[in-house]
Amino acid sequence: MSLLSAESLAIIADARRAGPSAQGALLTALRLTQRERRQVGVAEVEYLARLLDLSPAVVEGVARFYDQISREPTGRQVVSLCRGIACYSRGAGAASEALRAALGVGPGETTADGRITFRLVECIGDCDHAPAVMLDDRFLGAATPAGVRAALDQG
Amino acid sequence: MERILTLHADQGDQPRLAVARERGAYDGLRKALGLTRHQIIAEVTASGLRGRGGAGFPTGRKWDFIRPQPGQPVYLLCNADESEPGTFKDRYLMERDPHLVLEGLCIAAYAIGAHDVFVYLRGEYASVGSILAAALAEAGEAGILGATLLDSPYELRINLQLGAGAYICGEETGLISSLEGKRGYPRVRPPFPAVHGFGQQPTVVNNVETLANLPWIILHGGEAFATLGTERSTGTKLISVCGAVNRPGVYEVEMGYPLRDFLAREAGGILDGRALKALIPGGTSVPILTAREAEDVTLDFESMQHAGTMLGSGGMIVFDQTVAMPGALATIANFYAHESCGECTPCREGTGWFAWIIARVLAGEGRPNDLEQLLRICANVEGRTICGLGDAAVQPVRSFITKFRAEFEALLPADQDTRPDWQRHGHGPRAARHGPLGQEAAWAEPVAGPSSARL
Repeated sequence: MSLLSAESLAIIADARRAGPSAQGALLTALRLTQRERRQVGVAEVEYLARLLDLSPAVVEGVARFYDQISREPTGRQVVSLCRGIACYSRGAGAASEALRAALGVGPGETTADGRITFRLVECIGDCDHAPAVMLDDRFLGAATPAGVRAALDQG
Repeated sequence: MERILTLHADQGDQPRLAVARERGAYDGLRKALGLTRHQIIAEVTASGLRGRGGAGFPTGRKWDFIRPQPGQPVYLLCNADESEPGTFKDRYLMERDPHLVLEGLCIAAYAIGAHDVFVYLRGEYASVGSILAAALAEAGEAGILGATLLDSPYELRINLQLGAGAYICGEETGLISSLEGKRGYPRVRPPFPAVHGFGQQPTVVNNVETLANLPWIILHGGEAFATLGTERSTGTKLISVCGAVNRPGVYEVEMGYPLRDFLAREAGGILDGRALKALIPGGTSVPILTAREAEDVTLDFESMQHAGTMLGSGGMIVFDQTVAMPGALATIANFYAHESCGECTPCREGTGWFAWIIARVLAGEGRPNDLEQLLRICANVEGRTICGLGDAAVQPVRSFITKFRAEFEALLPADQDTRPDWQRHGHGPRAARHGPLGQEAAWAEPVAGPSSARL
């Protein structure tokens, strides 16, 4: 049984052919798995190992290296507040408390309904909008609870 | 001032191919395809262009190292990982003028004889990747970057690869490891990537901004480029300025531009009319400058080096009088502790101890000799690791403590307890990326410090 969509499998197949070694597709495979399954846990690791003809230990070792690949399921939407130095100096601490109050979960936690994960992340390169926040892959600019709430409601 | 990189970047329609073409996009590539590889390398060498990712290595020389055996493939990797804290200039270029970046990429690939190019973007830049992908698709349909470049027979395949959240993948050999589907561990040099790089083949890794200079250099000549800037820092530089300024953002300046003027004009002055306290000129991996030290510095490699720091990535972080240095350093130290890949012991342990000791100083639980201890660890990390991350982590620790020592000393209690750490605290710092804890636990609780240290 496939854990991934046909579309993702096609992208992974392309990635295997693009570089000098088939293992080069692993990073892409991990990203797509995280997006579709919201986690790369034991089942996903074993699946990807079979798919890419790698040992599960290799897949596990690579998966655990990267911050955006999660062993536990993340929420359907991920709110990432930057804790980089620029954002720190422009009120990220207060923004974190405000987001905690607005979302009902603290950094590193997921809401009980599995909808939202709130994370603190290292510098995301949106320093001119400090304190910067992302919703999934989208830069939302300076973090305000109202702005994040509105973006969450839009999906 | 001559603008090389941002001539059209503030016009919102520049990502559209037809518009960009009207403004001259891909004219440099057309001219380059009429030159030989050696002519292009000679032109770029004459330009004096140095890498814009942070290290400042001469681009022409880097290319000249590529001497493939017959039949051996050559790879060009574009470093779009841009994870240096305070740096967002490559993102600006890729979002505002993606065709300029792609054109530079094609010129570089042609110059080194690469037919396969990989653009490695940090995972957080997925939206930037979409803009590049759209530009690439449009240029493909127009026959500019199809199976061959323009109407030449030169084959080129451009691949976009997103990372998945790891600062170390911006280090060129860490990037190569990541692109090979491995943990992003840097590699011992030699052998250099020019000999054994991606897939053990000859490889060049160039930064986004570096590549974006190439169309201008080809069109106007290396000599014209070399007349801009200073003797050893030719051309212009993108500065991304953030922190306590009125107009944070990305600005292109000619190398040699006075920092004081940059702060007053481009950056719009210090926030709310406050006084400048200090600034980090090139990302957190370079030493901080006090306001006094910053007075006579100019924005170029030599002046920064003379002032004891580096131009680095051009990610400028400005602190006004309201910022307390110990808290700022704790934030920076946590970053390196989290991002150390764990491959080399001095960096893995050293960055953990930096974060842990600074956190306890900040919490009022420091020991009388903690500042000496931190400086001693600096000496034990610097120069003892495979890649530059260990050295990078040392720069803020040493420079903050040396230049703002009174602020740290004020936090130290007059404690005369001389028991060793293990008797007082029980255990050492928790390793992050390589430790028994998962990623989430690691970054939610990187050190046993107060909340102000974590955020």
